[in-house]
Amino acid sequence: MTSVIELKNLTKKYGDLTAVDHVNYAVEEGEIFGLLGHNGAGKTTTILMLLGLIPPTEGTAIVNGADIKENPLQARRNVGLLPENAGFYDNLTAKQNLSFYAELADVPEKVSSDRCEKLIDMVGLGDKRTVKVGAYSRGMKQRLGIAQSLVREPKILILDEPTQGIDPEGTRDLREIIRGLSKERGMTIIFTTHVLYEVNKLCDRVAIMKNGAIAGLGTIPELRKQVNAAEGEDFEQVFLRYQGVV
Amino acid sequence: MAGLFTMAKKEFLDIIAEKKFLLIFGTLLIVILVSTFQGGLEYSSSQSSTTTTTTAPGGQGPGGNETRPFQMMGSVSSLSTALSSMVTNFSLVGGVLAIAISFDTINNEMQRGSLKTLLSYPIYRDSIVYGKYLGGFLAITLVSIVTFMAGIGVFLSVTGLALTMDTLLRLLIFFGISLVYMAIFLAIGLLLSIVLPQPSTSLLASMIVWLSSIQLIPNLGYAIGQILYPVRMSFSEGRPSFSMQSGFTTIRAIISGLSPSTAYENIVNSILTTSELQFTSSQPTIVSVSVDKALLTVAPSIIYFVGLLIAIFAVAYILFTRQEIR
Repeated sequence: MTSVIELKNLTKKYGDLTAVDHVNYAVEEGEIFGLLGHNGAGKTTTILMLLGLIPPTEGTAIVNGADIKENPLQARRNVGLLPENAGFYDNLTAKQNLSFYAELADVPEKVSSDRCEKLIDMVGLGDKRTVKVGAYSRGMKQRLGIAQSLVREPKILILDEPTQGIDPEGTRDLREIIRGLSKERGMTIIFTTHVLYEVNKLCDRVAIMKNGAIAGLGTIPELRKQVNAAEGEDFEQVFLRYQGVV
Repeated sequence: MAGLFTMAKKEFLDIIAEKKFLLIFGTLLIVILVSTFQGGLEYSSSQSSTTTTTTAPGGQGPGGNETRPFQMMGSVSSLSTALSSMVTNFSLVGGVLAIAISFDTINNEMQRGSLKTLLSYPIYRDSIVYGKYLGGFLAITLVSIVTFMAGIGVFLSVTGLALTMDTLLRLLIFFGISLVYMAIFLAIGLLLSIVLPQPSTSLLASMIVWLSSIQLIPNLGYAIGQILYPVRMSFSEGRPSFSMQSGFTTIRAIISGLSPSTAYENIVNSILTTSELQFTSSQPTIVSVSVDKALLTVAPSIIYFVGLLIAIFAVAYILFTRQEIR
């Protein structure tokens, strides 16, 4: 397998606070990689550094063969992002929003219209395609966010808390979408979440972050083994052990 | 530059579809139409009075300027006098319109949660800041073209004035300077939308800057001038008389000229001044002022004006491209 993302001593400091502390790991092509941790553990900061939105204080990362410090534009060329609390232009419809992003990504006009329509259907917003986004619920906007992150057909998809605000049915649909993108398109997916059930169901590998550093890294069985979890012990308990709570 | 025109197009279409834009644009248009109509009427009446009282023939003065004996104050600087309220209104409402367009350019994207998404695309930040500014600039250009064509159209139809090359050139310069003036406030709004995270705060700050430009800085110039060079009062034949020291005028002009609104009005009034009084002989004469001469007179102000625009935009650009998006 080939690494598509490689973090090398990636560090971010804000004064005395170390948000991300010398993080090292690699994400393989086609993998579904979960990034777990409490609020403020450094998950979102790590993601924003991978996209060049925040410069690292130390270290670097290689995304798609490009160094995020030297060539951030190339690094994010094949990356789709669903940020936490993604927002859209309320005065536009779902298709108008997607078309704008497709134009930004240089998707040819002939391809763009058809692709946007398919993505809207895929995320289950087909019956709301003509409604302005201002009238969408939080969950609908989150679905549209998934469609937006796919509009440029990226090789890597980064989802920051993708199920936030989505109802259980929507969460299940989203899980299926993520699984499908990984299996059918060979897409590499990184996602952050607080929902451990999702991690258990979806992830090939998981990194658990604590105070900016990596507290645990591996497959779910590997993580369980590292903390000597008893057979049948809930993954939540395992996660809390990594956090030093139990 | 990838994404620049996509951003500019979206920004422009968003701006012109906004109610606040249409409201202020409508207000500006009405104010300009009313003021040019009034200015046109006043111009016509002053011209007819002048015609009846002018008796002596004109001649050729120094530098090829046409001179004629002074008869009526109304005939001096006729174009600038007639369009003075248009200039004042444009400096007031035009500034507000530019601020209304730009005060939330960047922080609104942050608040909405769309800035991270935008920046995750393979486009430079330059494209976003240039694109958004270009979109706003196109909107103010549209406003200026419509307002000027309507205002000048009303003025010409009321006065029946023939549009000579000289007048056209003066009006075109007036248009260009007005565009730069609005572009300055557009850049101020952009800068504050980058520095201040809340749109409500950046709106308030923009309005304070605008108020300072139209009121505070000119008043400050007057006050500092008074402190440094107090107006002298003396009594002759029991009556008080006031004399200004030359330093007062200079200090006031320098400080007031720092205000974009004052600088704008000074530049435009000079450009529109077609004739002025000259006291070279025992009798004051009216001397025509060519466009070249007017431009030369206000060249420092024009350089300051354009420099201010570039400086404000450069600061906004640097801050945005170096900003951490969290």
